[in-house]
Amino acid sequence: MKITKRMAIFIIILSTFLNTFAEVSYKLGANKLELNVISIITNYSLFLGLTAYGVSACLLIIALRGGKLSVLYPIFATGYVWVTLTSIYFFHEVLSLYKIFGVLFIILGISLINYNNQTNHNNLSNKVLQ
Amino acid sequence: MKTSIYAIIGVFIASLFGGIGALYLKKGSDNIKLNFWKLIKNYDLIKGILCYGFSTLLFIPSLKFGELSVLYPITSFTYIWVILFSLIFLNERMNKYKWLGLILIVIGVILIGIGS
Repeated sequence: MKITKRMAIFIIILSTFLNTFAEVSYKLGANKLELNVISIITNYSLFLGLTAYGVSACLLIIALRGGKLSVLYPIFATGYVWVTLTSIYFFHEVLSLYKIFGVLFIILGISLINYNNQTNHNNLSNKVLQ
Repeated sequence: MKTSIYAIIGVFIASLFGGIGALYLKKGSDNIKLNFWKLIKNYDLIKGILCYGFSTLLFIPSLKFGELSVLYPITSFTYIWVILFSLIFLNERMNKYKWLGLILIVIGVILIGIGS
């Protein structure tokens, strides 16, 4: 299947939100985490998180077929913003200037790392998905 | 909720294993074939997946002992490990954007660490 640039961007946005969903589910699961088998296998948030994370990773690989890393990775990196915002909303964590600037630096850093990268990783993901 | 230093160390080590996992996946992906026997005999691929698994296994319990908005950004250290490992083990070339990006990520994580 040919993935157009526009589709790649749509898929990476979907992947980013699923990834945020996964992290929040992990946190919910971790809060209920206890060292006993029954409580772990009935910890639905944990499995929901793992599933969402898996789907998100697959979508990321698919998106990389159709777009450049320099475009797609900065979009994916906005996940740090969404995770921070949902943590404040759901877990009543505190927003501080440190967190705001920390997240901004991280996103800028991830974007810069991929700035010069023109590969669209067609070879790799075609091999995986052929 | 205050974030425990052990949770921060746990996520930090998880990011290290994420980086090692990426290195093995890259090595494994060089000879990937969609054939079941070849896939399970692709030891680099399997080591990569095991590293990712271990990384997740370390990350999730760490989240119990701290704020998600502090611990999740620390996972961005994976990018740093990946760059350093590609430089050392895959002989990939650095450029000024990568160095600058690397420094910005470190500053970002330190800022979030100080804030907690």
